Amino acid sequence: MTIVTGSKTEARLRLQSGRSGLPRKVWQHRADYAYVLPAIAVMLVVIAYPIYYTIELSFFNTPPGLQLRDKIFVGFNNYTAILTSEVFWQVTLNTLIWTFASTFVSFVLGFATALALHRDFIGRGVLRAILIIPWVISAVAASYIWKWIYHSDFGIIGAVLVELGLASRPPNFIDSVSTVLPSLIVVNIWREFPFAMIMMMAGLQTVPEQLLRAAKVDGANAWQRFWHVTFPHLRNVSTVTILLLAVANFNSFIIPWIMTGGGPSNASHIWITHIYELAFGRQRWGVAAAYSVLLFLILMTLGYFYVRALSGNERREAKA
Amino acid sequence: MRRITLGGAVLRGAVSTALMASLMSAPALGAPPVDLSKWSPEYVRSIAGTQDFDTARDCAKVTPLDYKGRLTFWYQGVFEGDPDLLRQYYKDFFATFRKTYPNIQLEEQALTYNDLLDKFRTALLGNAAPMAVRLQILGGTEFASKGYLQPLKPEDVGYSTEDFWPGAMKAVTWDGVTYGIPTNNETMAFIWNADIFKRAGLDPDKPPATWDDVVKYSKQIHDKLGIAGYGLVARKNAGNTPYRFMPQLWAYGGGVFDEATANPTYKEIELNSPQSKAALQASYDMYVRDKSVPVSALTNQQADNQPLFLAGQLGMMISHPSDYNVMLDLQKKATGTDKDKAQTVIDNMRYGLIPTGPDGKRAVVFGGSNIHILKPEYVEGGKVDEPAAKAIICMWTSPEWSLKMAYAGSNPGNLNGFKTKWMKERLDSIKFLDVTTSMLPYGIPFPALPQSPEIMNIIIPDMLQNALTGAMTVDQAADDAAKKVKDLMGGGL
Repeated sequence: MTIVTGSKTEARLRLQSGRSGLPRKVWQHRADYAYVLPAIAVMLVVIAYPIYYTIELSFFNTPPGLQLRDKIFVGFNNYTAILTSEVFWQVTLNTLIWTFASTFVSFVLGFATALALHRDFIGRGVLRAILIIPWVISAVAASYIWKWIYHSDFGIIGAVLVELGLASRPPNFIDSVSTVLPSLIVVNIWREFPFAMIMMMAGLQTVPEQLLRAAKVDGANAWQRFWHVTFPHLRNVSTVTILLLAVANFNSFIIPWIMTGGGPSNASHIWITHIYELAFGRQRWGVAAAYSVLLFLILMTLGYFYVRALSGNERREAKA
Repeated sequence: MRRITLGGAVLRGAVSTALMASLMSAPALGAPPVDLSKWSPEYVRSIAGTQDFDTARDCAKVTPLDYKGRLTFWYQGVFEGDPDLLRQYYKDFFATFRKTYPNIQLEEQALTYNDLLDKFRTALLGNAAPMAVRLQILGGTEFASKGYLQPLKPEDVGYSTEDFWPGAMKAVTWDGVTYGIPTNNETMAFIWNADIFKRAGLDPDKPPATWDDVVKYSKQIHDKLGIAGYGLVARKNAGNTPYRFMPQLWAYGGGVFDEATANPTYKEIELNSPQSKAALQASYDMYVRDKSVPVSALTNQQADNQPLFLAGQLGMMISHPSDYNVMLDLQKKATGTDKDKAQTVIDNMRYGLIPTGPDGKRAVVFGGSNIHILKPEYVEGGKVDEPAAKAIICMWTSPEWSLKMAYAGSNPGNLNGFKTKWMKERLDSIKFLDVTTSMLPYGIPFPALPQSPEIMNIIIPDMLQNALTGAMTVDQAADDAAKKVKDLMGGGL
């Protein structure tokens, strides 16, 4: 055991008083830094270096006949090529539609389901478990199943509609440029809304029951109780849920890639699938890296709002 | 069942094509083990079972059987569209290799056609590639041109260059150096359901003679029976698409470049020529105008066509001889009345030569796979066990195993395979094999360029999808594809 003597303590205090500002603060928190050092080291290797390398690569051309190490410096040409290409704008529009539609509908559906399941009724637990299934099953398996459900010649939906006489031939869900993206969004919503449901159900647990009762005593109807009591309490969890959904949707890959590969005619290509095809299918590592940098900036912006929402939440809780 | 006699047709067609000269004449080479100028179903039958080979003895001369080493090996293996018979031969091969070379620690990994290139490229970037790899014919040039592969020729594993198809050797040659050995080479054939033809008012024993006939027959089948006529495939990033569209493109006199000529230079882009546009128009007519092909063609692969064909919902398609065995496998898995329906389809399954273009030109993709050895610096651990790699390459490319590993779906890369007793056996057991081997003289290799995978797996399917979805007109889609190829060849971004 180490015994701190009076003279040693004095010496340390002198040393500390000799430092000022940032170094002093760092020194005071040296133990904290030591605790997070391993995590920072890992992040530098697995996150910081890939980010740096991606940014570096985005300034190079990588023709199919050359190895990556023989890449050619082209400055901002990759960024110029991306921003002036028709495909970029088509893919960006697809990505925005995909992200906003999936996020908005998943959230609304999840929230509505959470509200419904918040009430006490027989079979609530079973229903809750069933509704979580789409979220827990493998996205790959789900994509293949939906591919067959949607199949333009022999899909289940088409067969039922034809059998019931509601259509003369199966609807074209994923082999048409106009219907493919909405069809994939439906699958994505089906997979994601349970996540929103779980988050909102957790949020609903935090709404004080006495406030709702008090509002009821004061004559507030169901909508007023929801709007003036429940919803304000769910603002933070809603923000976090929406941001998490948006980030996940911007990064979506499995459903569009497996079901359509981005086709037909790029109609279901979103950023990530397009980046994957550019990199691994066409070996345009430089262009794919430039795309990734742009996507990174967008996601960092979303991440900033996410962190801000969490911080705001903490501040409000601290005040309360 | 009707006996198909194709010898005359094959000889007439084969002799008349410049392509045949490209594939079969090899003036700079020595005499091949089989007489390619006599190629016909009858000739193939006449040489089958005429020679015995001892694989272990032959390979022992390359790598001693007691050699101790370690080998990592990736290969394009069997997938969902392959018959069970082939799966068994793959199992047998690796079991035999381990028995023949008990001291070589083999770590093999099978990948599907559509996944192999992506995974291999990624591994190369991280210097984590296997020591040896068996790639689709399309891939060799890309990796050779980038300097990933070691020079490797048949002589390095105890065979002769003349033992392999000259056309196949082109696909493993870059800048005058050979970087691999063909394991198998194949051409597909035209398959139709005679019962559907009959019910649609077509001659059940006569396949469409031209691609224009395919369009006409497809419409007739669809209009009369309400089912899909021709099994069009236009999925992106799937090898099945170029294998089915390129024969059509070449037959009409088109091409990506001049790859369909005897001595291609790959200088001029032909994708937007009137002939290429005519080929694309034929697909457009079937998909958009007549709606006579599966709507799901844009997301389908051949594996999706197989159940449709077996269910009697598809009249015609292009595929390997193995599709007959696949149908038998699928039929075994069917239950109740489906089993009988499937049997009816199998009984009515017919194989014929792929139709010609308007000028009588017949073409098919000269497909297959090659085997390569990587340079040590790109391999995990930085070392390549060459004797071990050569041992497996010697075995796979031997007359025996190059035939057995292609038993149902392809043909041996090593021409001596045609002389083995197993060839005789498969001629008797694999129905319609003689039809697909009859297509070999019409085979055109994909352009031997590093850009070929992108052209075939992305640009060609994109062109089809752009035209078939109405995103572009046929002219615009062809022009757009030609521009993409031009940009690609010019090193564009």
